[in-house]
Amino acid sequence: MVRLVAALLLCLAAPALAQPVVVSPAPEAVSVTVYRDPNRSTWGEMDLKWLGGYALVTETRTVDLPAGPSVIRFEGVAGNILPVSAIVSGLPGRVPEKNYDARLLSPGALVEAFLGRQVHIRRTSRATGKTVEMEAILRSGPDGIVLTTAEGVEALRCTGLPESLVYPGVPADLSDRPTLAVQTETAAPARATLRLSYLAGQFDWQANYVAQLAPDGRTVDLFAWLTLANGNDESFAAARTQAVAGTVDRVEAEGDEGAEPVSPQISLQCWPAGTTSDTAYMVPPPPGPPGEYAMYGADIVVTGARIRHPNLMSSIPITSIGGAELEELGDLKLYRIPDPVTVAANSQKQVGLLSKTRVPVERINAAWLEAGRRLDEPEEAGVVLRTRNVAERNLGLPLPMGPLAIFEEVGGRQMLTGQGAIADSAVGQEVEIAVGASPGVFVHQRLGPKKKKKKKTKKGEEKPDEDEEDDSSYLPGRYELEVSNATPHAVEVEVNLWRRDQRALVRRASRDLAMKNGRYVWRARVPANGRATLAYTYVPAPEDEEED
Amino acid sequence: MRRFVFITFFAAVPALGQSSQGDVAITIYNNDLALVQDVRQIAIPAGRSRQEFADVSARIRAETVSFAAADTAIVEQNFDYDLLSPGKLMEKAVGQVVTIVRINPATGTEVREQAKVLATNGGVVLQIGTRIEVLRDDGLPVRVIFDKVPENLRARPTLSVTLESRRAGVRPARLTYLTPGLAWKSDYVALFDEGAGKIDVQGWITLTNSSGTSYTNADVVMVAGAPNDGNNYNNNYRSYRPPAASDLVRAGTESGGRPRLGDYYLYPLAQRTTIANAQTKQVSFLDVQGAGATKAYHFTVGWMQTIETPMSASTVLNFSNSKAGGLGTQLPAGTVRVYIRDARGAPQFIGESGIGHTPMGSEIAIRTGEAFDVKVKSAVTKREKITRDEWERTARYRITDSRDGTRIVEVETNPVFNRTTMTYTLTNARPTPAVVNLVQTGLDNAYHDTRIVEESMRGEQISLNDRRYRVTVPGNGETVVTATFDTRY
Repeated sequence: MVRLVAALLLCLAAPALAQPVVVSPAPEAVSVTVYRDPNRSTWGEMDLKWLGGYALVTETRTVDLPAGPSVIRFEGVAGNILPVSAIVSGLPGRVPEKNYDARLLSPGALVEAFLGRQVHIRRTSRATGKTVEMEAILRSGPDGIVLTTAEGVEALRCTGLPESLVYPGVPADLSDRPTLAVQTETAAPARATLRLSYLAGQFDWQANYVAQLAPDGRTVDLFAWLTLANGNDESFAAARTQAVAGTVDRVEAEGDEGAEPVSPQISLQCWPAGTTSDTAYMVPPPPGPPGEYAMYGADIVVTGARIRHPNLMSSIPITSIGGAELEELGDLKLYRIPDPVTVAANSQKQVGLLSKTRVPVERINAAWLEAGRRLDEPEEAGVVLRTRNVAERNLGLPLPMGPLAIFEEVGGRQMLTGQGAIADSAVGQEVEIAVGASPGVFVHQRLGPKKKKKKKTKKGEEKPDEDEEDDSSYLPGRYELEVSNATPHAVEVEVNLWRRDQRALVRRASRDLAMKNGRYVWRARVPANGRATLAYTYVPAPEDEEED
Repeated sequence: MRRFVFITFFAAVPALGQSSQGDVAITIYNNDLALVQDVRQIAIPAGRSRQEFADVSARIRAETVSFAAADTAIVEQNFDYDLLSPGKLMEKAVGQVVTIVRINPATGTEVREQAKVLATNGGVVLQIGTRIEVLRDDGLPVRVIFDKVPENLRARPTLSVTLESRRAGVRPARLTYLTPGLAWKSDYVALFDEGAGKIDVQGWITLTNSSGTSYTNADVVMVAGAPNDGNNYNNNYRSYRPPAASDLVRAGTESGGRPRLGDYYLYPLAQRTTIANAQTKQVSFLDVQGAGATKAYHFTVGWMQTIETPMSASTVLNFSNSKAGGLGTQLPAGTVRVYIRDARGAPQFIGESGIGHTPMGSEIAIRTGEAFDVKVKSAVTKREKITRDEWERTARYRITDSRDGTRIVEVETNPVFNRTTMTYTLTNARPTPAVVNLVQTGLDNAYHDTRIVEESMRGEQISLNDRRYRVTVPGNGETVVTATFDTRY
């Protein structure tokens, strides 16, 4: 009888196995091209626990195909595969169909699969340890299990006895994880080397710049790491590894992640179990979903050392060999790591991206002020490193975006003197990095002691923007801009006067003003422990009249 | 006895693994809606009988079911969702006799008794002989054995039809219903060869099944369109909306060879297929080699937008789906993923974009990303108020309305005219020249009278709001364009 059951169960598995299944357990060679998280800012760090970037994984696999139609199942693909992006090439026949099955093997899925079918129930005596096994048919589940046995109808786990279900086999359409499979058809048995490529989530990369400022402050040694991370549970051993810089568009479309993994949860409900003593004994609480138990045992512990940026504080100069090679990829930049490397599961990896020595930079104190806007108190000027991405300045190569840390040697000791970020910078472009504020240089802007003409408020409430907020801003009159220097050496400060409305004018300036990108620029030289001032007349923009 | 029971078991178990579905045909729409037609061979006795339908979609919209079989009339149609559970089993046993088996925890010996279930309110109260007890009041193990599964309690929601048949016999019965949980879209793989100006495109229909049921050996047709789904909440929920068709440059006017349903194109699958539950299935429907394609750069500057840090121009791929030189078919909505080969010949991903349902013969432009080396800066370099003559100061209108008849109204206006000069700096760090389609937008602003006073190269007014400059930027070079606009704002 049991044998017959087994035979019938094989039949049950059969419909899914109508075609021979060829299992490809692992790739022989793999290539990983990592793309940056499109939503992460230039200076933002990668969150190793949730990587927002992705990768194009290209795997080479060899399979032995039988003649006729067959199904190739791919195992060991990245867990965060985007199934709809899978491409299979190199098969002798065509691929009429690709499938991604998300029915997972779980206690609940077993109950569902065997609903209405024969299982065994095993009861163990607590007194003697003797087990009794009976045949039973599952009548309901997974929310409360009712069985039909030879004796009648019973409910599982309502008895207070240790009892469990025993299944005769695993249904063929349940797998331990979502599985990608393709159908193909071959004229004769053949060994095929095929290429499987797909996009997968939970990857990320970025450039991390380290700049060492020379003692004279006129040049930097610039080094960049290519930092890449894999948050998948799969390692890619000896992978040809690339990273792509530039903006790559992604769209979010429903269904791209594939049908949601299905693993029904069991909740063993019983009949009302109240007793006279009411609190003394309760039917054991229903076990939680299996995932919960797994979670308790596997708390994710990320040590501080893992999160901390590994190289920001390390001493430099850094020398690295075997750095990434740059290649054009259409309008993007591709960085190729020359030797195959292992991109391990849940790990971060760094290789040299570029290294340039003695890059001339201008270290500039810069202030940004809006013309005609009074300041309540002096503001710190910012510090900007400026250079041009050209060969004459020992650069002249694409700079992919990423955070930058600047170190300076002060009294024989490495000091972090600023942090900023480089935006994607093409060759020839001016590179400007805001690295911090300069504590010794302040700017202040005041309206001079002149007659205060009341601003015309004809339709007062119609323009409730910040113009009205501060009554003494944007008034016409003579403004005084003062730069103070508390450092013991003379500094040059670039003061940018910008206008919200370009029809507003700055007139009769007491110093020479240059124009750059539609704003006024005053290059102030401030003596050591001294001040410099600029006075100008501000003419506000004419008011736009409402037309009706 | 034992032997007999086993035999009845096998009779009770439906042929293992066999779905009770018949000849299944499925029509899938874009808005998470599918029409399932299931023709089953059913033995219908003469007279009144009740037929149950297992293996219908777990998310069936029961109110849309229709049933048809020869020589029968429907008496009623039921959708029962009273589900079998231990609690329900005990509840339905109230007033009936069950067998309880007490197990001695020390020795394991069993004692059988007959008990009548009196109530199940909070706990189970039993009458055993003349005694009244609460089930498992002492916490000791007790098995409760019921005689049978009560009528109307089922493992799963079940659809049933009560029929009146004029004759007995096996005949095909057609069951049709609507269900959510079956959806489709398309996915395209485009391999672009910039040097040759060619594109290879593979199209896949992507089907997802979250309806809770597998469909065996089904005849599947996809409809490129979404029938109006009324106000049904279930349909609006989770529905797939095609991405905006903003990439359509020019809608096509050619008709494809595909079968149609009204205005919708149909995509039948070539052969029958099994759609398993929780499965994503992709079926090839398009494979075109060497269609023409070109790359272009686009950049749009907002009104009076100053861009200090150069911004990258968009990289746009242009191709057509016309019969001559294009993909030669209409394209159902979906995602286009674009690849190009790297220096070693391996395809690399360079970006993706959504397209809407695209009629054949259309010109399509999809943005894949931004060009690292082609950048644009812009600045308002001059802006001033300019004077105008008095001619616009006063206007007279004749207004007729039903109450007061005709009257004349004078409107005083004192429009402000501004003259704005924009400077655009385009840079190209690639060794080859790049042509950038630079668009200044925001030129209309509901006034319709913006004038172009001066421009360093001739622009093209593509709409009241937008003016386009086709700027050639030399390799490793820079081009500066200036334009001056008179506006009322």
